[in-house]
Parts: sequence; C-alpha cells; structure tokens
Amino acid sequence: MQLNSYQQQIFDHQRPQIEKFSRRTWGWTIFYLLWIGFGGIALYTQIAKGHKVTGMRDNVVWGLYIANFIFFIGISYAGAVISGILHILKVEWRKPIIRIAEMITVISTIIGPIFILLCVGRLDRLHHLFIYPRLQSPITWDVLAIGTYFTGSVIFLYLALIKDYAIYRDAKLNIPKWKQKLYKILAIGYRGTPSQKKHIAISMNLMAVMIVPLAIIVHSVLSWIFGMTLRPGWHSTIFGPYFVLAAIYSGTGVLIMAMWVYRRMYKLHSYIEDKHFIYLGYIMMVLGAAYGYFTFSEYLTDWYGSQRWDAQVISKLFDPREYGWWFLFANVAGIVLPIAVVAIPKTRKPGLIAIASFFMVMALWVKRYLIIVPTLETPLLPMQDTRPEYVHYHATWVEWALTFAGVATFFLFFTIGSKFVTVVPISEFGDEEKKKAKASAIEPAKEIATV
Amino acid sequence: MKPVINIRSGSLAILIIAFLISNPALVNAQKDTAKAETVEMLSPSMDLIGIQKGDNTIDLKASLKTKFKGATIKLPHLKVHFLAVTDSGQKELGYVITDKVGVSLFNIKAEGLTAGKDGKVKFKAVFDGNKSMDPADAEVAFKRARLEIEPVKGDSTYSANLKLVDVSSGKAVPVPDAALGLFVKRSFYPMKIGEAKTDSEGLATIEIPAKLPGDAQGKITLLAKVDENETYGYLETAVPENWGVAVSNQNVELPKALWSSHPPTWMLITFIVLMTTVWGHYIVIIYELFRLRKEEPKIVPES
Repeated sequence: MQLNSYQQQIFDHQRPQIEKFSRRTWGWTIFYLLWIGFGGIALYTQIAKGHKVTGMRDNVVWGLYIANFIFFIGISYAGAVISGILHILKVEWRKPIIRIAEMITVISTIIGPIFILLCVGRLDRLHHLFIYPRLQSPITWDVLAIGTYFTGSVIFLYLALIKDYAIYRDAKLNIPKWKQKLYKILAIGYRGTPSQKKHIAISMNLMAVMIVPLAIIVHSVLSWIFGMTLRPGWHSTIFGPYFVLAAIYSGTGVLIMAMWVYRRMYKLHSYIEDKHFIYLGYIMMVLGAAYGYFTFSEYLTDWYGSQRWDAQVISKLFDPREYGWWFLFANVAGIVLPIAVVAIPKTRKPGLIAIASFFMVMALWVKRYLIIVPTLETPLLPMQDTRPEYVHYHATWVEWALTFAGVATFFLFFTIGSKFVTVVPISEFGDEEKKKAKASAIEPAKEIATV
Repeated sequence: MKPVINIRSGSLAILIIAFLISNPALVNAQKDTAKAETVEMLSPSMDLIGIQKGDNTIDLKASLKTKFKGATIKLPHLKVHFLAVTDSGQKELGYVITDKVGVSLFNIKAEGLTAGKDGKVKFKAVFDGNKSMDPADAEVAFKRARLEIEPVKGDSTYSANLKLVDVSSGKAVPVPDAALGLFVKRSFYPMKIGEAKTDSEGLATIEIPAKLPGDAQGKITLLAKVDENETYGYLETAVPENWGVAVSNQNVELPKALWSSHPPTWMLITFIVLMTTVWGHYIVIIYELFRLRKEEPKIVPES
C-alpha cells in the first residue's frame, strides 16, 4: 500500500503502539484481569447458589444488571450514530476520532448483552428465544434488534479497518508472524486498486446510511421493553426518543473520555486536537439541552397528572430519604454541568470537557438505575405482609463485582484493541491531507526565502 | 560390579515410577477400585397402598425412593415383587418394573383373596436390592369394602348418592361415619366437587354443580373416593354421565392478535420488511467484499 507523507507520518507515530506491549500496558491488563477474575468468583457464587445472592426479589426483578445493559447498549449507539452521520456528511474533522467511536460501538455491544445473561436465570433455556420466538413480545424484538445491530456495527468497523489492515500487512512491522498472518487475512487482498476502492466506498456508504436508522430503531425497541408495560414511570410515549437521545448523549461523553485517555496515552495531540474536544463538546451541549428538555417534559407531565402510582414514583424520586439525592445528581451532573462547561468559554478546554463528560456518564448510569428500580418498588397491586427486602432493592456484592468486571472487560478490550489497530486511522487521510502536508512544507520554505 | 547393579536397579525403579506416573490409566484404575470400595450403599424406602376399585379389583401401588445428598430421588427401572400375605404364609402375585417416577402399579382381582384373623387382606411389596442399593419392602393391610355411586338427576339439580359397605364378612354391612369425596376426572389430577360423611346406612349425598365442562359429547366422569381410611384404606369408583357442557376437544385457530400466538399481519409485514432490508444490505456488503477479494491484482504495485 502506497502511503502519502502525512499518512506515513501518522503511521510512524503510532507504529510502536502496535509493535510493543509495554510494561504499563501489561500492568493495566493484569489489573483488569484481576477485576474480571473477581467477577468470575461472583459469577460462580451466583450460579452455585442461585439468584438469591443478588438483591433481586419478587417485586424488584431487575436491578444493576439491567441498568448496566441499557448503559452499555446506550453508549454503543453514539459510536454508530456519530461516525455514521459524520461519514455521510463528509465532515473532515471526524477522521482522527472515528476509529475510537467505532471501537466503542463494537465493544459495548458485546458487553451490554452479557448483563442480560447475568440477570436471567435458567440459561439452559436461552435458545428458546430463537426456537420459540413470540413476535409480539418486546423481548423478542430486542433480541433480534441487538443481534442485527451488533452484526452491522462489526461490519461497519471492519469496513473502516480493511485499508488500515492492508497498510499494516505491507509495512514490515516488527510483530510476531501470527499477527502478520492475521493482518494478511483481514486485509482480504486489498491493494488499493480503483475497483477495490469503489467496493469499499459502496459498502461504507451503505453501512453509514444503514447504521444510523438501525441504531435509532434498536434503542427505541430497548425503550419499549419499559414503555409497552403499564407501570408508572415507564408507560410513556416519549420513551423511544428519550432513550435514543440519552444513548447518543452518554456515548458522546464516553467518546470524549476515550479520546482524552488515548491522546495522553499515545501522545496523539497532533491528530486528536483541542478542536475535536470542542466540536464534540458542542454536540454534547446540544444533546444535553435536548435531554434536559425531555427529562423535564417527562416528569412534569407525570407530576401534573398526579395519577396515584405515578405520584408515588415521583415522590420517591424527590424524597431525599429515598432517591432524592441520586435524582439531583443525575440531573445536575447529567444536564447542567456539561452544558455549563461547554457554554462558558473559559472552561471550554479538553481536560474540563473530559471531566464533565465523566460526571455526565456517571449521572446517566444513575439515571438508568432510577428508571428501573423506583418503578419496580412501586407495584400496581398492594402487597400485604410482604418482607421489606422484597419491596426494596439493594444491590449485593455479587452484582457490584460483576458490574465492575463488565467495566474492566470494556477497558481490557480497548487496551487489547489498540494493540491491533491504530487509534487514529491512517487510510482515512487521503489526498486533501497530502495537499495540506505539502502546503505546510512550502510555508516554512517561503518564510526562509523571504528572510 | 556392585555399583553397576545399583545404578541399573535404581534406573529401573525410576523407569517404573515414571511409567506409572505417565500412565494415567493405571493410576485411575487404582483410584476407581478404591472408589468402588468406598461407595456407600443407597438405602431406598418403599410405600405401599391398596386401592379398592369399583370393578372389584385392587390396585397395589408401590413407590420406591431414596435420599441422596439431602434430596429425595424417585427410583425408576427397578423390579418390585408383589405378594399376598396370609396367616399361613405368602404367595407371589407377580412383579412390575418401576416407572420414571419410581412407581409400580399392580392390579389384581379381589375375588378369592384370603383374609387374616383380623378380617384384613394383607399385601407385601419387595425390592430385592442390587449392587448399589439395599433391599426394601412394605406391607399394607385393609378390610375389604365396596364404594357405590348412584348419580341422581333432579329437575334442575344433579347429585350423587354414595354408599360405603363392608364386604369382609361376605355380607354387605354399611360403614357409618366415613369421609368420602366426590371428584370429576380431568386431564391431570381429579377436580374435587364436594365431600361428606356416611350416615348410619353408609350413605352420603353430594350435590354436583350444573354446567361442568365435559368432553366433546358433554360427558363427565364422576369419581367417588375414600382416602386413608384406617380400616379400609383407599377406595375408588367411577361412573360416566352426560351431564357436562360439551367442550370441543379440537384446537380452535386463534385469530391474529397481540394476545394470541399468531402476530397481527401488520406486525409480521413490518418485521419481514425491516429484517429483509437490513440483512439484505449486509449480504450486499459481504458480496462486495468477496468481489474485492477476487479483484486482488496478482502483481503487487510497488510501494
């Protein structure tokens, strides 16, 4: 594969990232594996003793696992939607960050559904979902939608990687033979001929067009698992767009955080520039405002209507003795903070935007928890003589251990992923960057000449 | 020479040990033998009941089970012998292999059975045991009795007259103050309609609700039962009647609806269109990738 000077420069900068597995990387990998191992102990405990080791009971049948599931599936959409839309609109500044966005999509789409498997009992009957599907069930929609979406996001990521795999294949990297063979297989004979470029372009455009509506449909379907039931706090017509918006919003936050980490870790300041944080910050601010509007609209209508069960859920969310503080955190850190940080010019800086993103992502995780648990703690049928622990949900160490194991797996996949592909895609930078590179080379020459 | 011999014998010993270690089959065989010696025998328990039927037969029902690691396991595929026990000795009636829930059911004619001095007929069920299980047996004794059922149809009501008589002496002697139950047979366990106690004439009457769902012809089967009577054990008598409401036994095709097993047409169409569109695109993309693979130039352009 022929590289222009700018591509060569990017590649040379990231070459050690693929060739070496540094001590620091080993350290982090072992740390994540230890967490995952601890999660393995929790999983064994859950399988051996049953779901009684979790806080889930007759009333509150969903807890941390489902909150994690929605959270991870949510952040996966941001990668798809952001990279898809920016690709269709041919936005130039997307190029250095598009790979990170696509990696977020694939990795979180793998991890999200694992929490469903942790939540349901009787995994031996899992195949019944496919053998005896009931098309009217939102659960069936969800299984099909997530399966389809995962396939699509893997294809999308792979398409974007083929050209880079060809570059790695031809670059004579100082890597083991199996890795070289792997790149050769994954490059599927791409040599950059015009017809091959055309095949990639057709496929990429098709996928970019497909992935955006697909992501919207899939997350709407996920919201309908809640919205189709008559429970207070769930039965809402705006749940579809509300979930989609929250998903893209939280995903944008994760993308900013990942950009910040990678920029520091691999010293990619020349490629992932401050402007990328600011542009994504603007997107985050707009999404934050829209998310705030949806949140206000949702709770205002429930509060104003004051239906018996809705009022009970609302009172729990506003009561500091129940979920009041968490609800406040979800809204302040999830809406006010990111908007304020990006809106004020003085705070509009990569570090602060990344910190605001971190709190926003945490807040949106809390928000998912607040969607699930308070509603389930408000049963439509009055429960008599039931045990308090059956009504009130408290996550156990098993659930927390598996939650952190999921997060560690997410980070581990990112760490390992960045050892197989360059974080900043090389092939994305074509002729325009070549011209820019030439221009930047001419400018100093002119200056020297004038001097 | 001695050292040479020692070295050789030492080497041989090492070789033997190495062979033993490297040959897991031998080690495992030894372990298996040890295990077999230490396997604990299971101690099954047996329950036996006799059900006196209305057709003058007796069902002897033996249940075989055991406790293993705190759980009760029903024992299938085991041979259970049934014996009639008299004051003078015992006579084998036959044997039945236990079914998947560990039950053996043996049916015998009630005529010609010899009662003991106490007027009771006695039966015994025996499991001989095997390599892993101890033997087990159980006995049951009860007085012979007959349960009669007479369905009565009024103008707008239905009832059943039940009568319990002792036949152990050869004569029909009414049994007073005995608890009876009336049931209707169902696909699974019989449904209880009512219960009563016999009067001094051994009679009891139980009302039957109208419009009980029956089979396709409206037939229901009334079942009178005596359970766990101290003297007579278990008795059953069944009689069919055309008092039920005819319920078709054919599966009715449910309409396409949200609640039925067939989804609404619009939902099916939406699903097929969406899935075909998306997966169709995936197939097109994969086809494009195959073409890309095929079009790899044989001479690699110089970089």
